[in-house]
Amino acid sequence: MVEAPSTIDIISLLLQVAHITLYILIISAVLGLLLGSFLTMIIVKNIPILKQLTTVLSSFTRSVPIIIQLFIVYYAIPPLLSNFGINVSNLSAVAASIVALTLYHGGYLTEVLRAAYKAVDKGQHEAADSFGYTPIQKFFRIILPQVVPVGLPGWGNALIHLIHDTSLVFALGVADIMGRAELIAAASYGMNQVQVFIIVAVIYIVVTFLSDGLVRLLEKRTKKYKLDSGLNAGGA
Amino acid sequence: MLNIQNLKLSFGEKEVLKGVDLNVNKGDVVTFIGPSGTGKTTILKCINYLVEPHEGQMQIGDINIDFKNINKKETLKLRRNTAMVFQQFNLFKNKTVLENVMDAQIAVQKKSKKEAYDKSIDLLGKVGLLDKEKDYPSKLSGGQQQRVSIARALAVEPDIILFDEPTSSLDPELVDEVLKVIERVAKTGVTILLVTHEMDFARKISNKVVFMEKGKVVEEGPPQQIFENSQNERTKKFLRKFYAKTNEMVEAK
Ligand SMILES: Nc1ncnc2c1ncn2[C@@H]1O[C@H](COP(=O)(O)OP(=O)(O)OP(=O)(O)O)[C@@H](O)[C@H]1O
Ligand SMILES: [Mg+2]
Repeated sequence: MVEAPSTIDIISLLLQVAHITLYILIISAVLGLLLGSFLTMIIVKNIPILKQLTTVLSSFTRSVPIIIQLFIVYYAIPPLLSNFGINVSNLSAVAASIVALTLYHGGYLTEVLRAAYKAVDKGQHEAADSFGYTPIQKFFRIILPQVVPVGLPGWGNALIHLIHDTSLVFALGVADIMGRAELIAAASYGMNQVQVFIIVAVIYIVVTFLSDGLVRLLEKRTKKYKLDSGLNAGGA
Repeated sequence: MLNIQNLKLSFGEKEVLKGVDLNVNKGDVVTFIGPSGTGKTTILKCINYLVEPHEGQMQIGDINIDFKNINKKETLKLRRNTAMVFQQFNLFKNKTVLENVMDAQIAVQKKSKKEAYDKSIDLLGKVGLLDKEKDYPSKLSGGQQQRVSIARALAVEPDIILFDEPTSSLDPELVDEVLKVIERVAKTGVTILLVTHEMDFARKISNKVVFMEKGKVVEEGPPQQIFENSQNERTKKFLRKFYAKTNEMVEAK
């Protein structure tokens, strides 16, 4: 008779691999934000060709289930790149996961950021331009600080999606929390699978809670001037 | 100090400015009047290159511009010698009243914080808003926002200030406080270009009135000439209509 591990044992077994999940999550979140910002710039600046590519990528990542995106990146990219003489045949499952999640998160964020950017009143651009701000000065002093509060809730949602989707990378064989959970459940012939997965659920609740907290903290710090357009006080 | 020749601009198929000439001397207060959609706002925006004329020359101070091939450097120089006061105020929403007045001084003029601060406090005092220094624009009334935006424009010590219907989006009871500030600014001798529908105000503060219609200057001259002795049929018709309308509004009340 196999003895089922205790709750404490399960938790410690899962936490031993938590860093892998967190690593994939944080790297994808950061790279995805950079990618999303870059793609938003392409769309906003209306750069030909790149803009069309961005639209394709963005609608692809939004319409294809993430598990399929993971498989595509993992299995299709190495042979594709080898055509160009780039050898990534030993693309690790972790790296493939990060690439796929970055593309997914970046594509999603492009929508969020584009909408937030468009929400900034044209008058704000005109005012900064009229004083002779350079485009970079205008962006960092005036526009970005107004994009952030508008984009924050959408970014928070995107993060939650990303967190949830990290639970799928075990399908590529990554030994993350979910991968380990499967192993534990299988080792005891499924006797404690409910217990194992409830513990996994709790871990995800904690991570999501932390991410929400971060977003809310940022919201608090930028809320002070978001008190609507300022136009409303203009009357008429 | 400001000369414009043959300024032309179209939005797509629509010709908005059909060859405008303008001469403004230092210290002039020039008012633009005319029906809606004639291109008054557009002229002011051309001077700041917020819209892009496809033809025309402009000399402003020592800057010489041919709009057909204006470069980025000239654009910035142009913008740094002028300031605009917008109909919708357009105060920076992410900045406090004080920061709004300070920001261009720091970002564009590279003044020290201290210098920008002192100047801003002085100007906020002059427009009567020292007590609002730490507020965000959204907390202010329209009249207060517009006074801040005038302080913001004065802060960069422009050669020319462009006012585009500065009181048009204000509640009637807030118009006077803003007009008073503009009048005081006019008395300091800075050159002003003003678009307004406040005819009495235009008559009082300007030394030159430009009547525009359909993208062209129809008549220009001192206020007495335009408002009292105009020989131009279109000018007379516009003013007659304008005063008939205001009378109706007054009677309706
Ligand atoms: N960005 C734009 N794109 C297309 N058409 C425009 C644009 N801006 C202005 N127009 C058009 O150009 C014409 C002149 O506009 P402008 O705002 O200069 O008029 P205006 O004399 O200031 O009128 P008002 O008294 O109503 O403010 C109008 O017919 C307007 O519809
Ligand atoms: Mg106008």
